[in-house]
Amino acid sequence: MNEFTFLLLAFLIYLLVMLLGFISFFNQRIGLRKTLFYLAILGLVFHSISLIIRTIVSGHAPFTNMYESINFFAWSCVLAVIILERKYNLEKTGPYLWLIIVALIALASSPALPKNITPLVPALQSYWLWLHVSVTLLGEAFLAVAFVASCIYLALPPGSGDKVEAEKKKEKYDLIAYRAVAIGFPLFTLGALVFGMIWANKAWGRYWGWDPKEVWSLITWLFYAVYLHTRLVMGWKGKKSALIAIIGFLAALFTFFGVNYLLRGLHSYA
Amino acid sequence: MPGWIRFLTSLKLAIVLLLLIIILSIVGTLIPQDQELSYYQQHFPSAVPWIKFFQLNHLYRSAIFLSLVFLFLLNLLFCSIKQLKSKLTLLKNRENFLAKFSAKKQGPVIQIKLPESLKTNHQFLLAALHQKKYAIKVRIKNGQPLIVARRGLAGLFGPEIVHLGLMIIIIGGLISALFTYRISVALIEGEIASVPKNNFSLRLNKFSTEYYPDGSVKNWKSQISIIENNGQPLNALVEVNHPFKYRGLNFYQISYGQDWDRATVELEIKTKETPSRKVVLKSGETMKIEPAMNVRLLSFVPDFQVDSANQIINRSGVANNPAALIEIQSAGQIIFSGWVFYLYPDFIQFQQKNKPEVKVTLRKFSAPLFSVLEISSDPGTGLVWMGSALLMLGLLFSFYFHYQELQILVDLNGYLQIFPYAQKNRENFYHETEQFLKNLIKIQADKGNRDE
Repeated sequence: MNEFTFLLLAFLIYLLVMLLGFISFFNQRIGLRKTLFYLAILGLVFHSISLIIRTIVSGHAPFTNMYESINFFAWSCVLAVIILERKYNLEKTGPYLWLIIVALIALASSPALPKNITPLVPALQSYWLWLHVSVTLLGEAFLAVAFVASCIYLALPPGSGDKVEAEKKKEKYDLIAYRAVAIGFPLFTLGALVFGMIWANKAWGRYWGWDPKEVWSLITWLFYAVYLHTRLVMGWKGKKSALIAIIGFLAALFTFFGVNYLLRGLHSYA
Repeated sequence: MPGWIRFLTSLKLAIVLLLLIIILSIVGTLIPQDQELSYYQQHFPSAVPWIKFFQLNHLYRSAIFLSLVFLFLLNLLFCSIKQLKSKLTLLKNRENFLAKFSAKKQGPVIQIKLPESLKTNHQFLLAALHQKKYAIKVRIKNGQPLIVARRGLAGLFGPEIVHLGLMIIIIGGLISALFTYRISVALIEGEIASVPKNNFSLRLNKFSTEYYPDGSVKNWKSQISIIENNGQPLNALVEVNHPFKYRGLNFYQISYGQDWDRATVELEIKTKETPSRKVVLKSGETMKIEPAMNVRLLSFVPDFQVDSANQIINRSGVANNPAALIEIQSAGQIIFSGWVFYLYPDFIQFQQKNKPEVKVTLRKFSAPLFSVLEISSDPGTGLVWMGSALLMLGLLFSFYFHYQELQILVDLNGYLQIFPYAQKNRENFYHETEQFLKNLIKIQADKGNRDE
């Protein structure tokens, strides 16, 4: 039983949860929600074991290259989904998030992403690696939930006929998105910006160098700052808010992937 | 309020500034920063005038960007002052709310009738509120008790703390931009360099590279000595991720290289008269190998390449294509002159003069390692850490604590008149409060009945 066995187990469970979740769109069964919740936790346990095995075997944190980072991000998304489902009830957001999680793990398994364990280059040998990357990815997992909830909000038909009911339904997703950002934004601030600056200062001698990855993480942060201010102070809700949450997440995706593959900089390992 | 103050306190300005900063920041990631003019001429030929005019090559230090950041700083400052003032006023007004309250003008939000047993005994109410983490003050108004209960005050001022943190970070950043001291020093082992603007020197005692079993680099370490004008040299170790601090300066292991200008090569030379012999030469050195024959190492390049103009260039500092320029003289005549390649010993195209019986092979090469250390001090750093701590504290307060207030008047007719106030989610709070109080009274009344 190696890390990949446990990862496969987790993947299969997530796949099952996703499929059952989509089926429940057409066939409401209240008992199913609890079952899916516990199944999800089981999947998370297997996934966690997989990550722990990799950590022990490699001797370093399980997020030092693209394969590891995408895998860990998928894990963070599972954690975020479980927490939010427990606190607030994600309704239809759930199955779409499982779809993303399943897709992430499938992407991580792609042969294009080398899976061999390589020792850490000198710049990554720091306990700040643990704090900076994990807290950032966890924050982004919550921002991913906000992204999906916002997409669903936009995709749902506007109130027609019985306007009040339909609007109320849509409002739920608007609220899920806000609550997810309320958790994700502080985590992202702490992980990406604060821990990032502290580590950069230790490793590179300066806390901020306007490196493309640093700039794009700032851009992501600024978009969510706009989201929060337009919402909390200007009272923007619904469609306008959803759009900002979506653009913000696209910026986060670009920070994660785009910068590595399309731009150059010091951050070229993950 | 004068127009310019209103302008600076407006949220719309903040949103516009944020969007402009976002757009400019994106541009700065698309146009590589701090490159030579020739780079931009090569890659963005038509845009060079724009790049020059708008300082897009150092966009984050450009006049436009710095102005936007400065304006944002002012916006934050004026907004925060305005918000702080209005929140303090709010609190003061809420304090005096029921003191000035007149039943004729406003009705309570919630009204609950107290059972007989509880009309005069209100301790249970105070205890329950206390348990729910309210801070309570009781006053008497016209003989009636007035309870003012508050909680989550931190949540009310959370945003101001966030903004204060951001302002301190921005100021720290501006100080860094103006006052950072940073220099790079490249030293080979044994070399001493004086540290500019300071009166001590730095000596590299030993530079070492540690490798993993698979051959990749594990760590670079520089063992250095700080040499003051008087006193003992201070020894220290500088590694990646472990800088050394001394007198307010930080010493970082930034990179390393090989000093190819001081390379040493080992050649194998075969001539008509003599069988192969081994010759070790330093750059620029001439060595006599026969009574009338000497060999000279004129130059060594680690990464030999010929460019489009047929010029010989060194492409990089990495030994991708090591080559040595050798000259051999015998009895006053040059019998060999040209480049020998480590990877291609039979490649003679770059050998100008070559008597066929003379064969030179480049067997080994090495160059002293130099360590590149960066010495810096950044007076803005402390402010950035302080600002970051406030930022995180403020976010915690803003999202975790919610300011909620209950003002409860017990009127002479035995009614609890409740005036809840919440900053967010008012409807929920009113509903919750009503449920909470009704349940509480019911439980208390039942208790009372049982005791009788």
